[in-house]
Amino acid sequence: MTRLLERPLVHFALAAATVLVLPLVLRSGTLASEILIYGLAAAACNLLLGYTGLLSFGQGIFFGLGSYAAGLLLLRTGWPALAVLPAVAVVGAATATAVGWLSIRRQGVYFVMLTLAFSQLFYFLAYTFSDLTGGDNGLLNVPRPMVGGKPLSDPWAYYAYVAVLFLALFAALQRVALSTFGRTLLAIRDNEARASAIGFPVRAFKVAAFAISGAVTALAGALHAMLIGVAPLSNIEYHTSETLLIMTIIGGAANLFASVLGAAFYLIAGDLLSAIWPRWLLLLGVLLVAIALFMQRGLWGLIERAAALATRGGAGRSPDERAAPEESRP
Amino acid sequence: MTYLFQILNGIGLGMLYFLLAVGLSVIFGLLQFVNFAHGAFYMLGAYLAYEMVGRGVSFWLALPLACLAVAALAALTEAALLRRIYAQAHTFHILATVGLALAVQEIVIIVWGPIGGNLPPPDSLSGVVILGDFVYPEYRLFVIALTAILAAGLWWLLEGTRLGAIVRAGSESPEDMALLGYDTRRINTAVFGLGAGLAGLAGALAAPIRGVDPFMSVEALSVAFVVVVIGGMGSYVGALAAGIAVGVAQSLMTTLWPEGARLMIYLGMAAVIVMRPRGLFGRA
Amino acid sequence: MLNRRTLLTQTALAAATLSAPPLVRRAAAAEGNLVVGAPLPMSGAFAANGKFAALGAAFAAEEAGTVLGRKVVARDLDTEGKPATAARKVQEAMAEGTRLFAGGILSSEALVMGKEVTNGGGVFFTTAGADEITGKECNRGTFRWSVPTYGAIAQTVRPLIAQMPQAKRWYTITPQYVFGEGLLSAAKAVFQEKGIEHVGNSYHSLAEKEFSGYLTNAMAAKPDVLLILSFGSQSSDTLRQAVSFGMKKRMAIVIAWASGLEQFEALGPDLCEGVYFGAQYWHGVDTPQNKAFVAKVRETRKFNPNYSFAGSYVITKLLLDGAAKAGGIEGPAVAKVLEGLTYAGLTGEEEIRAADHQVIKNYYLLKGKPKSAMADKDDFVDIVSFGKSFLSPEAAGCKMT
Repeated sequence: MTRLLERPLVHFALAAATVLVLPLVLRSGTLASEILIYGLAAAACNLLLGYTGLLSFGQGIFFGLGSYAAGLLLLRTGWPALAVLPAVAVVGAATATAVGWLSIRRQGVYFVMLTLAFSQLFYFLAYTFSDLTGGDNGLLNVPRPMVGGKPLSDPWAYYAYVAVLFLALFAALQRVALSTFGRTLLAIRDNEARASAIGFPVRAFKVAAFAISGAVTALAGALHAMLIGVAPLSNIEYHTSETLLIMTIIGGAANLFASVLGAAFYLIAGDLLSAIWPRWLLLLGVLLVAIALFMQRGLWGLIERAAALATRGGAGRSPDERAAPEESRP
Repeated sequence: MTYLFQILNGIGLGMLYFLLAVGLSVIFGLLQFVNFAHGAFYMLGAYLAYEMVGRGVSFWLALPLACLAVAALAALTEAALLRRIYAQAHTFHILATVGLALAVQEIVIIVWGPIGGNLPPPDSLSGVVILGDFVYPEYRLFVIALTAILAAGLWWLLEGTRLGAIVRAGSESPEDMALLGYDTRRINTAVFGLGAGLAGLAGALAAPIRGVDPFMSVEALSVAFVVVVIGGMGSYVGALAAGIAVGVAQSLMTTLWPEGARLMIYLGMAAVIVMRPRGLFGRA
Repeated sequence: MLNRRTLLTQTALAAATLSAPPLVRRAAAAEGNLVVGAPLPMSGAFAANGKFAALGAAFAAEEAGTVLGRKVVARDLDTEGKPATAARKVQEAMAEGTRLFAGGILSSEALVMGKEVTNGGGVFFTTAGADEITGKECNRGTFRWSVPTYGAIAQTVRPLIAQMPQAKRWYTITPQYVFGEGLLSAAKAVFQEKGIEHVGNSYHSLAEKEFSGYLTNAMAAKPDVLLILSFGSQSSDTLRQAVSFGMKKRMAIVIAWASGLEQFEALGPDLCEGVYFGAQYWHGVDTPQNKAFVAKVRETRKFNPNYSFAGSYVITKLLLDGAAKAGGIEGPAVAKVLEGLTYAGLTGEEEIRAADHQVIKNYYLLKGKPKSAMADKDDFVDIVSFGKSFLSPEAAGCKMT
């Protein structure tokens, strides 16, 4: 059973199952769409965090730019959504290449701080160029995609649209992670000096990881803008970067599905709690501290532990003891 | 003349930024620990001073009390929670302290409400000094003078005392410290408390200038990060120079190009990391 | 390992299953109650406004009791101050059958929600500030109670010019975004008309907290009046710092768009004394409706209603009255009743202008009084003057679609 949990096909099956289960358990198609969209962005964040060892505080840049690019293209060119999305992916990849190329010159905390500075920089750019972005009001009137001549205005119809793209992109991300490229990223994460000595172009690989992550995050941002009908300034805020990171870490860095799990947990818990208690962020704060202290493999770690208990009747070692997060293989 | 005055004003701002950031810098230098909860300690200092003055305590007593209370609270947090994750990846430092900051913010809202409050400067300093055409609040002059004295005291503490030597040696090689028989855990706790206490003091000093509100921590944290990164993590002189540089830049930009003030500051931060990753004054 | 073919089949399969009707999706809201959605920032930086607005909506629901034979309930929807969450929350509420929405304190949220609610066949009544709401971005389903920037400037700057004919030099401090620009251009127009010398303006960003640099520039220009065009905590910070620079003694200070009681409480009486504030509402307004309202709030809630509370109360009440008259909660029918409606409101006679859905109501110029003259702890200001000033719907740029 624990072995089973390490297989990528199982992760894809779980992602597909999530797509099918959400409509059964949630009343809101908008929330369900948001879960898939953030799940995708968190998985892209995990490609950097879990697979490449890069803690990027700049994911909001790509998410926000994706929203703006989609909004501007849809509003000003009249292209159909399916033509806009590839263009958005290119914008995301290009920006991520630039940000990544500059950021990976530094390591550790300096890398984190650099991505943080870029994230603030892009926020103030978006704020300053309000003719393009709508500034604080946001870029309004972003239309839903058209299918068969009609806009997908029903929340669940749009959910289906998002779901198809989500599964395709999730599978694509998995393919990247499982390819030689992905395995090289893991080697770089585990021992950068050795990977470099063997002759891998470490920096080119890191930049490529950034580009892929940026493209997928921008697509998620585009889907989000079409979902809520606006590309808001808050999508490019530092706060979005932080939220995406939190989702990824809550899920666990072990594999791409864990990130989807993290996003789903964050959004559903937030939705339930905020309806009960306006100060729910207090509980989130406590939860984050608890995860840092006791649950460093995140929700996925819990699942692994449960599976280990189920198969070995609780006799075996827990996965947490077996592998520290730094050594875990996705 | 306006520029000269803007520079003076910027130095005043910068001294507060220094006080806010130096703790973050020292904590990083010694513990390699990224503390996203630093702004929360600043906010607690401000709110504690606000509460005490509101209950009739003299401002002059509230100031050191707020500082000490925050230092004690931070030391307790360090000993109970944070020390357990020093060995972990930075990811978990960030996660834990982001969570802590969020929890403090919400607790402040629960205790003091979501609306901010006003803390007037003490009566003896509520006036203004008039220099020709320009006026400057006495309280701000007092803040400049006090932080200058504190800066000198800190410099002595970090460069001239045994504790300072231990801290500096500890940030270079914690193993040696342990071998020499120093209790690194207690030193870590003390330094963490000191750093947070300074942030608390900065908060208490800033309260009469900017009031208190539950979201002041976020703003303070971003300023502190900029100062620490530009000055160099772990560098005392760097925090002082960068604090003043950021203050002056911010003040001058209001005359030159106000819309671009923040843009320039973050551009500067990015440029420094790319070109001089250890900061302008960081130890290589 | 995945290959392309399994990927395609899986994707197609997933898509096919999705089109089947879900099992547990609830079709409509619980039968019985008439729910008014109150999408408000209950958490995040604007939680203070959200909290009082939620109380105001609940008060209106309680007062209405039963409408269309159903018990009225105001339901808070926490927007977290974010447009994305706001859009999601109203979409969800509409999926459950809610059609009446009263809320949206921040402009960015309100613009998005107005469109969502209208597209979903509901009505949205807001107190948000952005001119676009009943201007360029106006629509069939969105209504707004608060006076736009034009009226706010006209009812603060004009009476002050009349009152202080010797004050010829004005300096402005403006947050750089659409709302601030709106106030600034309105102010400039008045300056020009009245022969006032606009001796300078400082722009600052929405993230700014430290205003000493801008105040230094302002002092160097030696104005007679300092006009502050930011709102919320930024205007409080500017005022606090201006007072510490001794500016209150050297010039008149005006905050054109103050939030009223909640802001005065945060500032305290010493800072407010002698300062002029423009406000949408003040609990001391002398109308029979307001007196009765304030008395009732005091009796049942033990506090004086502030702007967030009163504004939210009014818009909730208007929606409920509209629904009662329309005989249902469907958006177009309620909107039709509201269009052109004239009623005795808290600020006197108010009218919902049909062409752009803007409520025509009074805007107040207040002046902070000394602590010694305050009758009770909330008696921060005197009303100096009030009146109604609005651009025509055409001039505001509203093309109703």
